[in-house]
Amino acid sequence: MNGAPVPTAPPPERGAASIVARGFQRYDGERSGVGGAIRSVAWQSIRATLGIGRAGRNKVFPVISVAISYIPAIVFIGIAVLVPSGITDGPTYAEYYGFITAAIVLFAALVAPEVLVSDRRNGMLALYLSTPLHRGTYLASKVLAVAATLGLVTLGPPILVLLGYTFDGSGPDGLRNWLVVLARIVLSGVAISAALTSISMAASCLTDRRAFAAIGVVLLVLASPILASALVDGAELSANWRLLDVFSMPFELVFRIFGERGNFPEVSTAAVVAVNAAWTAAGLAVVVWRYSRFVISR
Amino acid sequence: MTTIIETRDLVMQFPGTLALDRLDVTIPAGVTGLVGANGAGKTTLISLALGLLKPTTGSIRVLDLDPTTQGPELRAQIGYGPERNLLPDDLRAYDFVRHLAEVKGLPRDEARTRASDSLYLVGLGEERFRALGTMSTGQRQRVKLAQAIAADPRFIVLDEPTDGLDPVQRDEMLNIIVQINRSFGIDVMLSSHVLEEVERICDNVVALDEGRLVAQGSMVELAGASGGIELELVDVADRPTAIDDVVASIVAAGATVERAGFVLTVGGRADAELFDVAGAAVARAGARLRRLGQRRRTLDDLFIGAQGPGGEGDALPPLVDGTAT
Repeated sequence: MNGAPVPTAPPPERGAASIVARGFQRYDGERSGVGGAIRSVAWQSIRATLGIGRAGRNKVFPVISVAISYIPAIVFIGIAVLVPSGITDGPTYAEYYGFITAAIVLFAALVAPEVLVSDRRNGMLALYLSTPLHRGTYLASKVLAVAATLGLVTLGPPILVLLGYTFDGSGPDGLRNWLVVLARIVLSGVAISAALTSISMAASCLTDRRAFAAIGVVLLVLASPILASALVDGAELSANWRLLDVFSMPFELVFRIFGERGNFPEVSTAAVVAVNAAWTAAGLAVVVWRYSRFVISR
Repeated sequence: MTTIIETRDLVMQFPGTLALDRLDVTIPAGVTGLVGANGAGKTTLISLALGLLKPTTGSIRVLDLDPTTQGPELRAQIGYGPERNLLPDDLRAYDFVRHLAEVKGLPRDEARTRASDSLYLVGLGEERFRALGTMSTGQRQRVKLAQAIAADPRFIVLDEPTDGLDPVQRDEMLNIIVQINRSFGIDVMLSSHVLEEVERICDNVVALDEGRLVAQGSMVELAGASGGIELELVDVADRPTAIDDVVASIVAAGATVERAGFVLTVGGRADAELFDVAGAAVARAGARLRRLGQRRRTLDDLFIGAQGPGGEGDALPPLVDGTAT
């Protein structure tokens, strides 16, 4: 000790201390407006669909559907890594969708009813429409939610395959080719998501029962190939009647995006693109028409 | 005075039903009760104010904005507690309130803080992480109130906020609503078919009946003192004719009396004279007095008067802006 004074903090001035008030107060900060409302509703819908923040039973079906769609990707990557010679027999990126079609359709049948029907049944629709949202922006948030959730199974698995093949050294040659494949995967995922989003949302706005909506989507998707096949193969009508096949046409479009002829080479690419666009537009038109007629009074 | 809602010749026609008939309403700041029987048009007026419906004809302005063309801008400043008790059962109260605060534009961190603060304010601080499906009707009503105020609106609209509550819960809910207005300056419009609770907490009242305006104005104007006095007597076993004697004395003094059991409503002369007449009559008859005071008109009187015995409105003319017309 050298006897030098030890510096100390000055004593607090009288009145300098303050009690920080907790509890409800007025807010005069910034607000995010309609854009923020759309993002918030879309994100909440995605969370609800995937069972995030909900009871365990709500997570079962989404987890199973997502797992089914990713398992083939993991298997193919495993084969590529462990059995290099077998990779030549692996599916093309377009063919990969054939392994997960059921999971995608099942997921589509689940997602839109959860996103749309629930709001009408539990009173959230009236609450949402008492916020900066109106019917159009509300539906935009729902389309965003359904499409993004479907993207989990339409975009995720093929991208995983691409990444797996790339790290294994069996992916596309060169950056340019790699980017082209990635762009085709994204375009394919968006196209499938758009068509199925539209169809499942249309089914979901026609009933207040989630189960009925889901069954409606599955029946439509399963019945349409039978009808198309009966018309073309049974009644020997023009091959263009294949376009009624709601189940196959989105995936046929994927083949065309990858430059392959697909399962129905007798149908032109232009017709496949047009019918997918038509299904998407028709489904969304039904949704908009239906919601414009709902009387929301409380 | 700030005007919250103003309608002019507002008509809402549903197929086969005229929900609102040329409604001219001006609702000032404060706590306003929107009263009327079921089907009177209360919910329709609320829906129009929120921009959920478009009027058939006429105009409505809320916070000086047009709900039909400026809906998003308007609704960002309004909180709404719907009548229906449907809520997403598997969502926690906190998540529900936070989410709706975000939808109304609050940043995520602010929404989290204010969701908790709002739930504490309505008395659900300790219950905020419970799923809505496990909550009682009273708690769900409080959650609806919490989500209405969480984003700090200028004005909240509560549709039957005491529906399904027992008397104690109702008192607590009404006290919270008053606190929201008095402490935080948030204007409130609540619809109710229970006139007593509107009388108790509202500064202003708008009364509807079958889509038409029955009355509007401040509570003081509409349900304040009216002419006459009211006295309540006690039945005395050894004087079975005491009440009849009181009535006879009052009539003999030139006043009018309406008797309903043990309650006498006395009028026909100046209030100061009526107190003297009634006091003397009670003393003379040896009756026992339980209560004596100036007669007050209630919203019940207003409704009964406006509708009249046959519903024709012949007992009390409709009041508009607090003035008999």
